[in-house]
Amino acid sequence: MEVNHVIIAIGIFLTTYIIIVSEKIDRTVIALVGASMLLLTHVMSQEKAIEFIDFNTIGLLIGMMIIVNILKRTGVFGYLAIKAAKSVKGEPWKIIVVFSIFTALSSALLDNVTTILLIVPITLVIVDTLETNPIPFIIPLVLMSNIGGTATLIGDPPNIMIGSATGLGFMDFLLNLAPVVVIIFIVVIFVFKLMYKNSMSISDEKREDIMALDENLAIKDIILLKKSLVVLGITMFGFIIHQYVHLESASVALIGASLLLLVSNVEPEDVLLEVEWPTIFFFSALFILVGGLEHVGVIEYLAGHMIALTNGDLFWLAILILWGSAIASAFLDNIPFVATMIPLIKSIELMSPVSISPLWWALALGACLGGNGTLVGASGNVIVSGMLEKHGNKLGFFRFMKVGFPIMILTVAISTVYLILFYI
Amino acid sequence: MRSIVNGEVSQHVIKLQQLGAKVNVINSTLCYVNFDISGFVLQYVYNVNSKGNYFLERTKPYPLALQEFDTEKDVVILIRKDVEKFKNALKSHHIDLFITIARHLNSTFVNFENTFLDYNLPAADVELILKKIQDIDGDLVRLKDTAKKIY
Repeated sequence: MEVNHVIIAIGIFLTTYIIIVSEKIDRTVIALVGASMLLLTHVMSQEKAIEFIDFNTIGLLIGMMIIVNILKRTGVFGYLAIKAAKSVKGEPWKIIVVFSIFTALSSALLDNVTTILLIVPITLVIVDTLETNPIPFIIPLVLMSNIGGTATLIGDPPNIMIGSATGLGFMDFLLNLAPVVVIIFIVVIFVFKLMYKNSMSISDEKREDIMALDENLAIKDIILLKKSLVVLGITMFGFIIHQYVHLESASVALIGASLLLLVSNVEPEDVLLEVEWPTIFFFSALFILVGGLEHVGVIEYLAGHMIALTNGDLFWLAILILWGSAIASAFLDNIPFVATMIPLIKSIELMSPVSISPLWWALALGACLGGNGTLVGASGNVIVSGMLEKHGNKLGFFRFMKVGFPIMILTVAISTVYLILFYI
Repeated sequence: MRSIVNGEVSQHVIKLQQLGAKVNVINSTLCYVNFDISGFVLQYVYNVNSKGNYFLERTKPYPLALQEFDTEKDVVILIRKDVEKFKNALKSHHIDLFITIARHLNSTFVNFENTFLDYNLPAADVELILKKIQDIDGDLVRLKDTAKKIY
């Protein structure tokens, strides 16, 4: 490999990364520009660049976006949320608890941003009905969406990327990460109880307004709902068995998506329009950018140094990756970070005499839970901030961080104990 | 950002459903059309969607819902005719008076609606208003019969 190519690849990668972090230019645009520059400067050929795109990640994202887009047309999320709020008789603290459970479970099965987009609007309607401050309701939901998403292969983009790159399947993620996520959930709910329980008082009249909401009115299309739930069930079953029937997770998602498009009678153009194409292109461009570093040998070089730094000790490597990922993901977009770390850990795997599987769990836990650290740590956090602003409430960087950062430290500390006890 | 707008729409849908509405959200494109005829601004808004319904509204110099159409061709034809009529009318010395009257009619309608919906009006008074509007309509018919047609 020419030295020039190494310098150019590093230069393009760092410049692109800095601009993505600065948020001065749209992240998808700058990632595409960076990837194009690698081709223009002949660091690698177009064929090579396309080889680096992980189509399993891309397919899984597109498949799940299609399924969720059709499912949300049924109104089932509004139905469940109203039903949940009524089941606790409009009691604010209990609403936070049931909505947190609902959010964490949804986020484990759907991706975080989708979960936020489905649950926050109905939460704001409930809050409007209660005529109270939405912030104590919304912050727990955002944090819980990042926590719940950590539990499964499909819950958060970093996990999708890790699963795709390593061959770790849905059940691997569920069995290895769900236990610690459940513990984290319980601890965080307890923290929220201390923070919020006694700070909210709602009149009986407002609670009666919640009880007057009719969940049945939220259901828009009962036939579509039945079809969607059947296909979602089949897809989830497909994820559970995909490793045993030798199907990639993207294949399962795309089979489910095409089946639902077939039976739903929804206009395919309308559904495909709602796929988050900027995210899909962002991922594709990132894979090429990181592929450029891999192609010129930078990743291998960094992996060697990381092993030297930790003397190849799995314990310190895992701690370094867990905390490094968490801190980095709190302040940077965790998707490019994980995209860079995956080939790095794969290189460590090649150099290490022992199994490095705990490093993948450390990366998943760090990158997903780290997103709770600041407002810019996860896409869902930024979207919620925008939605609240439109709603007339401001959720600023420091207001979020005041709650999110300690929770992030707490959850990563729990993850550290979990990794030490069971893996390293 | 599209996702934030979708989130806002979701809130509206849930609130409207609770009011008893059936809400059908469709993807569409909203077109704003501006003409500047020597400083006189004509503005139209129309919506294009895959369901084949187009609604057109003139928003300046005064708001007026114009029509629903089946094809975008009809929208362009109506806008063209409307612009031609205004270009013609701009030559008139009474154009300012015409705009003032049109705006007044709009505000009078809003005032009438608020008065009728917010107050329990005696039937005789409502009938008196109807009589006055019919008088104005009669005047317009008389004017059409006597004045020279220019378009």
